[in-house]
This record gives sequence, structure tokens and C-alpha cells, in this order.
Amino acid sequence: MKMMYGMLMALAPATLYALYAYRLEALLLILTGVISAVAAEALFQKLTGRKITVTDGSAAITGLLLSLAVSVSTPLYALAVSAAFGIIAGKQLLGGLGKNLFNPALFGRLFYLFVFPDSILPWKLPVPWREAVDTTAAATPLEALRETGETSPEILNMFLGRIPGTLGEISALMLLIGAAFLIYKGYVRWRIPASIFATVLVVSAIAGQNPLFHFFAGSLMLGGFFMATDPMTSPRFPKGQVVFGIGIGLIIMAMRFWGWQTPGVYEFTEGTTFAILTMNLFVPYLNSKFRPARK
Amino acid sequence: MIVDSIIRLTSVVAVILIVALGWSRIGAARLKKKGVEESKAKSEAKKSATKYSLIAAFLYMVAMVSVAGLFM
Repeated sequence: MKMMYGMLMALAPATLYALYAYRLEALLLILTGVISAVAAEALFQKLTGRKITVTDGSAAITGLLLSLAVSVSTPLYALAVSAAFGIIAGKQLLGGLGKNLFNPALFGRLFYLFVFPDSILPWKLPVPWREAVDTTAAATPLEALRETGETSPEILNMFLGRIPGTLGEISALMLLIGAAFLIYKGYVRWRIPASIFATVLVVSAIAGQNPLFHFFAGSLMLGGFFMATDPMTSPRFPKGQVVFGIGIGLIIMAMRFWGWQTPGVYEFTEGTTFAILTMNLFVPYLNSKFRPARK
Repeated sequence: MIVDSIIRLTSVVAVILIVALGWSRIGAARLKKKGVEESKAKSEAKKSATKYSLIAAFLYMVAMVSVAGLFM
């Protein structure tokens, strides 16, 4: 429980920045995500006669992570349905916290991308930066890369959060502050984000693209620090964690280069959700393969 | 757009239900053949059916996102 509330604290900088960047729209989305996730968990547990465990904070984290992983254009009902799906299908059906196969927030996000693909667009610039460029909607850095082949946005803008994107991914600085807190407190398995980021940096350098662009672009940092490190859906042992992270990094980069998309229906440029969920499937294997030998 | 979303939502739920129901029956029958007690076989099969139905839902959504254009 201490860890759950620690995670909420770590997400506070990114959440506050989202509120600053998107004002009331962000507040409504975050409240909807958290309330829907908590309500879905409580209702499911009540209906199935299980002990209601919403006070452990895990459902609230799922709701918050999901709301930070959606575009500001998302209708509230789409987020509410996706949060409920993530909690029920991603967590409760398999028996609740600790028994889930997939990260519930990401399972909800995959559902959101699949069921409500139109609701993501348009990507909007944060309110404080709209006047400077005299526009509201803009391409995300990864969309710009897909369209022009250039890593065009300034790295400083990506670092500070002057770019369009999902609520929680726009400011790398805020995510790094939260991540530093998590690592300092020992709440995350640091080998996982370290191997994800190392893989991304190496692959982008080999491909001749700016590694820092790929490091700060998309939901890599949000996913790497806050979702891939979920203790219930990540490997327990160090070598397994490194393999898990490398796998995530490789899938992310493959999707950034080649994409998994259907023109006109699904046009995603980011693969963090798919990468982490895919590697979640291998966690039982990695746990058995890399279990340290008993002395 | 709403109709498309409802169709997609229904299709995911259908995949989960079909795999869960199918696997729980097949799994229970296989376990019973191996000599496992009926109530235990049913509960074991139900657990694995839930797990495989969610994996099927994941694969279905990823497959549709990546190859949906072939059918539209």
C-alpha cells in the first residue's frame, strides 16, 4: 500500500503539469479515469462477493495512468469505458491484484486505441504554448517523424513539455522528477527502464537518428518508468528484467520505424502499449528461465 | 463513429466469451480424461479459460489494429 501511494506521489509532477497544460479538460479526464477505475473495481468485487480492496490505491493508479496515457481530445465516456475494461478484464477476472497477466492500465489503453481510435485526434498543443505558434492542433513529434522523416521538434521543447501528446507524456522533465523519486525510494525495478532506454538509444543511434529525440518522444518515459515496472507484471529476477526491458525497447523502436497501422482507421506512431503488453506475456517464462539457482 | 465503436466493443467481448466458454469445456474434458476429479477439473479449466480468453482478446485487438485495413 505504501508503494501504491508512493507511485501516486511520483505521478504528481506529470499530473500537475497536465493540469497546467490542458486546464479543465485535463482535470475532467483525470477525475473520470480515476473514478471509473475505482468504481469498476468496487462494483465488480461487490457483485462477485469478494472483499472490496479499492483503498489499496491500485485501482486509482490504474485510472490515473490510463488518463495520463490518453489524448486531451478523448471523450469522457470513452475513457470511462476503457478504465472499467482495464480494471475488470485486465485485473479482476484473473483474481485481482498480483494475479493479473497484463498491466491493467495498458490493457485499458489498448482497448481504448482499438475501440475509440477516432477519439485520439486532434492532438492539441498545451494551452500556454498555443498563442506563441498561433495554432491549437499539431502533429506529435513521432507523427512529424513519420510524415517528414525528420526528428524535427526541438529537444528542449520535448523536455519541458511544449509539444502535443497524451496528458502525461508531454513533459519529460516532470516524468524524470517522478521517476527519480521512485528510484530513490526503491519502488521500481530500475533494470527495466535502464534496459529499455539503453536499447532505444542504441537502436536509434544505429539507425542514424537522434537518440535524444527518441528518448524524449512519445510515451517511452511514461511507459518505461511507470508501467513496465509494475511489480505484478514484470520479471522478478535481474536477468529477466534486463531481457524484458530489451524486448520492450526493440518492439518500441520497430513500431516507430515501421509502425503497426491501418491507414484511415488506425494510425498510431507509438508502440509503448503494444511493446509492454507483449512482453507481459513472457513474464512467467522469464521468471522461470532466469530464476537464480539455489546454493 | 459511435456505431463503429459499439461493433468493436462487441467483437472484443465476443472473442473473450467464445474463447472462455470453449476452453473451459475442452479443458475440463481433458482434465477429466486424465483422471482429475470433476469439480477440481472444472475450476482448473475455468482459470485457464479466463487467462487464454484475455490473451486471445489481446492478440485480436493487436491483429485488428495492424491488419484491419485488409478487411475494410
